[in-house]
Amino acid sequence: MKRLASAIIAVVCALPFALVIMLSLAHGWRFPAILPHPFTAELWRSIVTGRVDLGAVFARSAALSATVALLSTAASFITAKFIAYHRRRPLLLTLAYAPYVMSPVILGVCILYLYIRAGIDGTFAGVVLAQTIFAFSFGIVFFTAFWNREKLELEQLVYTMGGTTRQLYSRVLLPLSRDALILCFFQTFLISWFQYGITLLIGEGKVQTLPLKVFDYIGEANPGYAALSSCLLVIPPVVMLWINKRLLPRIL
Amino acid sequence: MTTSAVRSYRSSAGTLGFALFLAIAVVPIAASLLYALLYTLGLTGLLSNGFTLTTWSRVVTSRETWAAFGISAYVSAVVCALSTFGGLGVALFLRSAGVPPAIAARPRAATVLGRIVRARGRKGHSVEIVPPGEDARRLQAGRLHSRAIAFLYLPLALPMTVGAFAGYQILSPIGLFARIAARIHLIGGAQEFPAFTNDVLHLGVIAVHVLLALPFFALLFLQLCESERVDAYAALSRSLGATDRQTLLRVTLPILLHRTRVNVLLLFVIVLGSYEIPLLLGRQYPMMVSVLTVTKYQRFDLLQKPEAFAIAILYTIVSGAAIVIALRQRQEETA
Repeated sequence: MKRLASAIIAVVCALPFALVIMLSLAHGWRFPAILPHPFTAELWRSIVTGRVDLGAVFARSAALSATVALLSTAASFITAKFIAYHRRRPLLLTLAYAPYVMSPVILGVCILYLYIRAGIDGTFAGVVLAQTIFAFSFGIVFFTAFWNREKLELEQLVYTMGGTTRQLYSRVLLPLSRDALILCFFQTFLISWFQYGITLLIGEGKVQTLPLKVFDYIGEANPGYAALSSCLLVIPPVVMLWINKRLLPRIL
Repeated sequence: MTTSAVRSYRSSAGTLGFALFLAIAVVPIAASLLYALLYTLGLTGLLSNGFTLTTWSRVVTSRETWAAFGISAYVSAVVCALSTFGGLGVALFLRSAGVPPAIAARPRAATVLGRIVRARGRKGHSVEIVPPGEDARRLQAGRLHSRAIAFLYLPLALPMTVGAFAGYQILSPIGLFARIAARIHLIGGAQEFPAFTNDVLHLGVIAVHVLLALPFFALLFLQLCESERVDAYAALSRSLGATDRQTLLRVTLPILLHRTRVNVLLLFVIVLGSYEIPLLLGRQYPMMVSVLTVTKYQRFDLLQKPEAFAIAILYTIVSGAAIVIALRQRQEETA
């Protein structure tokens, strides 16, 4: 019984992944067949042959997410320190939490006007900036726990021993925070990688990323290519999860 | 706060942190919400004709608005309940299935189960006399359930977009479940399959959200069992004469549920504003809040635009209040 329950947990968790992989390898899936027939790698080959632009979209999504992750990790590392030791920490943390938890697409509706006025709507930079708001917010929440009393005392110790600010960061704080920085980078990369609504609104459909492609193909009633885009979309998170399994439990 | 702490945040890094906070998070959002508010009051935008409450009276008296908030609240509440209690059930099952706490807390340790057991013995922390065959049996069970735990991590890597697409391919009348039902002759055709997508009860939306959230809660509960020393309290409770049922209901569950209430509240806010899943699996009426907001914003009828802003502001107020409550509770916990 316990074996069966464990197997059910495993199957339910793996089913969405198995399904999108299966559909990306399907030539047709006529009702009521449970499995598609025949299986073919034709859709995957179309990426290599350039029949679809998914390779370029994958590269654009990766570049966009890496930029967002880099900016938001660096900025939130600094800002979280400011908030963590501030006497109005609860208020500032509440402000920081808002974009992290609230719906990006609803805030996106309101923010779009600013981007139109700034002339960066429908551009790569505009989407990067818009996504950075949400990833930055996550970074602050993430790093606020890092900047604790222990780090403060270490900082005091370095200054007491005559160390400079540069030495404090290069020899103490950055080595100490290496794991946290890597983890935050991965997480903010994923926040950006998963983002659909804000990319659609701010990018105005001109900045094509993989989540947009999934919905485009669904709209075109093309489940094969939607599944293929979905596979490309889940590859980096799964790889990161695998690389990151040592670090991940700490954020839970 | 200490003097040095004050000096620390007032340092150049502190100023930079403050500037970044204002520039990236506070100002864009505050400015855009202010613009949205002014737009709804007729004080700015293309339709601006001076101060008016017309938009607000239209939105507040609109059946569509309250239906959207109602269905969103219903979906969020059901998702929170199922994810929390489902996650709790999975976590307690995995612990009862013979998984040592260290394994449960860190799934990566699954492959080194044997070594953990032996290392404990050598260090003298916990010397167990394992009968012949028992070690292998426990090892087998441990591996099996640890694999189940490892699988719980998979949905954390699933974007909502893919979750929505996979949910549609599984639950729709031509999806996987319908095909299985047809194959075992439970239904005669796709039209006989019950509606789990685009249905009144939003069952498909709920199912996909639960699939994404339940594993997170299961892992969270597993870790809390370890960090909150639930086993120690449960053992104490039993040694004082409590039954297993009393221990579960009066010790284990209250500890775990109390510690996760903030996460549940945050999940409520996240589901309340979710977009991709209801966009694909939801209905035209009632729409969930995010879908309604974007739909109104993108309509050709310009009169709908201020209504989209008004709904966005209402959502901001509701979710903002939830965030404040959640953070207050967290502060009480850490105080």
